[in-house]
Amino acid sequence: VNATTLRLELPTLPPAADELRREVRSFIAEQRADGRLPPPTKVGLGFSAEMTQRIAARGWIGITWPSQYGGQARSALERYVVTEELLAAAVPVGAHWVADRQSGPVLLKFGSEEQKRDYLPRIAAGQCFFCIGMSEPQSGSDLASLRMRAERIDGGWKLNGHKIWTTNAHRAHYIIVLARSSPAESSRHAGLTQFIVDLKSTGVTVNPIVGMPGEHDFNEVLLTDVVVADSAMIGTEGNGWNQVSAELAYERSGPERWLSSFRLLSELIDALDQQARPASLEELGRLLSHLLSLRQLSLSVAGMIERGLTPNVEAAIVKDLGTKFEQEVVRVVRDIVSVEHLTCHGREERLRKLLVHAQLWAPAFTIRGGTNEILRGIIAKGIGLG
Amino acid sequence: MSDVEFIHDAVSRVLADTVTLASIQEAENRKVPIRLFDALADTGIFLMLAPEEYGGVNANLSAALSVLRASGAAAAPGPVLETILAQRLLTQAGLDPTGGLSTLVFAQPLDGPAPGATFWAAPPPFHEVPWGGLAKHFLVVWDSGTGVRLVVSDCSAWRAVPGADEAGEPRDTLQGENIPVTCSLLSGASYDELLRTAALLRAGQLLGAIEWTFNCSVGYAMERKQFGREIGKFQAVQHMLAELADHTLASAAITMAAAERCTDTMVAAARSRVADAADAAISIGHQVHGAIGFSREYALNYRTRRLMAWRNDYGSVFYWRHRLGAQFQNLSRDAFWPAVADAGLSSLPTR
Repeated sequence: VNATTLRLELPTLPPAADELRREVRSFIAEQRADGRLPPPTKVGLGFSAEMTQRIAARGWIGITWPSQYGGQARSALERYVVTEELLAAAVPVGAHWVADRQSGPVLLKFGSEEQKRDYLPRIAAGQCFFCIGMSEPQSGSDLASLRMRAERIDGGWKLNGHKIWTTNAHRAHYIIVLARSSPAESSRHAGLTQFIVDLKSTGVTVNPIVGMPGEHDFNEVLLTDVVVADSAMIGTEGNGWNQVSAELAYERSGPERWLSSFRLLSELIDALDQQARPASLEELGRLLSHLLSLRQLSLSVAGMIERGLTPNVEAAIVKDLGTKFEQEVVRVVRDIVSVEHLTCHGREERLRKLLVHAQLWAPAFTIRGGTNEILRGIIAKGIGLG
Repeated sequence: MSDVEFIHDAVSRVLADTVTLASIQEAENRKVPIRLFDALADTGIFLMLAPEEYGGVNANLSAALSVLRASGAAAAPGPVLETILAQRLLTQAGLDPTGGLSTLVFAQPLDGPAPGATFWAAPPPFHEVPWGGLAKHFLVVWDSGTGVRLVVSDCSAWRAVPGADEAGEPRDTLQGENIPVTCSLLSGASYDELLRTAALLRAGQLLGAIEWTFNCSVGYAMERKQFGREIGKFQAVQHMLAELADHTLASAAITMAAAERCTDTMVAAARSRVADAADAAISIGHQVHGAIGFSREYALNYRTRRLMAWRNDYGSVFYWRHRLGAQFQNLSRDAFWPAVADAGLSSLPTR
């Protein structure tokens, strides 16, 4: 490809991943047979502490972590396989999602031995849920401008500030708060520190934010003189920016960045019959070609990460492409449903509900976890501009 | 160095030495690029897909894809793909590869010669045959309904009505009566499989031209100054080029994967994805270049016009998309994902 060497490596999964894929598929088949996984009428990760328990029982949460912390020491590619199979089947994984993808890995990489022993086994057992305390009302894309204050006190820290867009804060156990622990002197990225805060602590207030789909997923989290012990600090004081950057890299190129609306495509294909118009099949074929390409690309990035490379630009490309694809699925399915009259006269009621819900969520796809404008800036820099 | 690496190196050198704006322009005046083809013949490229007993290299499709990617990037004129594929088809029919400039079409006419026939009494006209009036050999891959036949003739035996594609390269109509032919059964091959191979190799040329356009546009944005700074410093330009990076990387991923696993699904996906990338390369490449990209004296248009010319070859974009959609159309909700995941290249490919 080039332009100062964008990297691409055809994915190859280890044989163990094939076996694991079969195990996950048979787990999904069991859930369906038991009526625990009805065809979805909503997009989104879904939140089910019960399903999380069942997934944990199979050892699929924290699957890459060392066994002394409750993991299975398997490769990132194997985690990838579990993730894509569960997401494509619309298994509700939202309860453990943040802890499995980023809070756990950050603790593993930067946390103290005590923190690792305390939190990781509970996360892997599906008993302890995390949420992300990064965004603030005045700090969205420009995260380094955040105002959450951490003030040193005897034996610990006192936190004051306002986090927002905190998914699941009303049903998680902990939030990892990024706060300013000293003034931004040398650089605005300096002086930031991460803390684990128990959401039941005195001084924590969680208020719901109802989103456009009419549901309560997001929250604002207010911290007023919340006192945490020294042992709640993650990693090194002032190193928060580097730690968060590592965390964000986990967020960018996974299958969740191109599978958000996949279930809508599954429902459409289920509903399409032999009479489908050629133009509808053409549009469907076009979507499928983008889907198959994205998967190759996303697996390529996962393979590079597994080998210790840091394909940040390629990961940004996956998220930019993947999230736009997720939106395009919604538009194209909407148009095919309309031209094929699939939901007229009460037919395909489930497809209609899912389509309504997907349309309401779609604008968020290209915003959450780093807007596409920010991603394009990263890509431009990576290809030598900027 | 393996035979395949040797060919790739040699081809890259030939393309760099032989393909110039002047030589590309000559091909637009119906002049066969003799110098390029003689030099390419010396590299062994034309026999790379032929088996060893015919003097070939028996290279796999990934290797062939990589040389066609290079030829697409260079905007090499002439029937390069057709001549490579023709040698393989000849050997598959048990004939000796000639190595001569060849062209081919895929056809499903109602009637045609039987295996062993030496004349084609009343062939249908064949339209838009690449270099049809100027190549040496004309191959028709004919899906007879009862096996695939290869009908080989000399281009000179046909009346050629000249035509041209967007790149200005000849696309002629060939017509005639009582054409001397060799008609053989292509045993062990299906029409779809052969069409797939041609479609994949064309995707390689498209990808090469897209990558060239991407690199050239990034390079231009870093050099060209307006308002006192390089235009690549402007966010609007950066975002266009980031979008082109997206398209380029995604089409490289699917095309390379399709070469490793040359199934109907993967080739259809590659041709569909590359078509969108080609459209993006044309619009973004020219937008970034501004007025200069529109000049025939500037190199960009030779890739742009080939992207336009090649887009619908060996199965139109519509054909491949429709075919891909139809493959998944009848699946149940729960069977859909496994079909997607298992179509792709995820485990080690079987060769």
